[in-house]
Amino acid sequence: MKRLSLIFLFLGLIFTANAQKFMTKNGYIGFFSHTPAEDIKGDNNQVASVIDASNGEIVFQVLVKSFHFAKTLMEEHFNENYMESDKFPKASFKGKITNLASIDLTKNGGYEVIVEGDLIIRDVTKKMSVKGMLEVVTGGLNANAKFIITPEDFNIKIPSVVRENIAKTIEVTIAMKYAPI
Amino acid sequence: MKKNLKIALIVISIMVLGGAVVGFYLYNLKPKDLGKVKPDFVLTSSDLLKSFEENEAAAGARYINKIIEVSGEISSVERGENNSMNIALKTNSSSSSIICTFPSLADAGKYKEGSQITIRGECSGYLMDILLNNCVAVEGTK
Repeated sequence: MKRLSLIFLFLGLIFTANAQKFMTKNGYIGFFSHTPAEDIKGDNNQVASVIDASNGEIVFQVLVKSFHFAKTLMEEHFNENYMESDKFPKASFKGKITNLASIDLTKNGGYEVIVEGDLIIRDVTKKMSVKGMLEVVTGGLNANAKFIITPEDFNIKIPSVVRENIAKTIEVTIAMKYAPI
Repeated sequence: MKKNLKIALIVISIMVLGGAVVGFYLYNLKPKDLGKVKPDFVLTSSDLLKSFEENEAAAGARYINKIIEVSGEISSVERGENNSMNIALKTNSSSSSIICTFPSLADAGKYKEGSQITIRGECSGYLMDILLNNCVAVEGTK
């Protein structure tokens, strides 16, 4: 049922009449945790996302298991201990570009955007406001953003033995190349 | 008594040392090179998608985290961040494909839309497409 609603969410965005929509299934989301003990970096190159340029709606979907790490053990801990990816396989964001009026889709160039919406990780919903760059390029849109999240906000418990190895706040990087649909 | 203590100390230090070596080894373990691993399942792109479409939970239990060797026609080749490359394989469905992420761009130029390929990867699950990670192209395919 969950995946049906997911599909409808996307189809809803895709098939709304006369709208200008952009999509990718090859987007990138990475995160970075820095502590004096170690740096941990996870990369996901399979991010699905749709932007509806007519109303500014934007949706991101990822599989948690698609995050990959330099070390196998990091990936195991990420999936089994922190994200519990068997129980919560997906993470998503659904929001809106709030300053859509300042973007001219007919003119190539970069625009600073503010996106507000709900980030859902481990079934916990958190309201976010993120500043990013939207670039109008020939044949599509590029979107880039960097923001900070806190594992505790999503009920991720980090045992005290590894507390020194995992940063209190995690930097998230988003890099997307959309094509019109 | 003293002799026993000495032996006990030696045994304990060997265990501690062994534990440290094993711990260090595990800590530094890198993802497997799937080019050298036997696949758990060998099937076509359409059959893989079909099993998820028919029963997502059962297919997930069967395929997720397993090594899958999947063959099909390339529908797109995309370069990603961090030198990665995504090759999508066509299926019977017009909306879903098999998206295979390669950790490096090696030979990206030789993969062309429309050609047949066999890819080995680790299955992450079903989003809008079936997602495979840590992929390698299986030699002998064109």
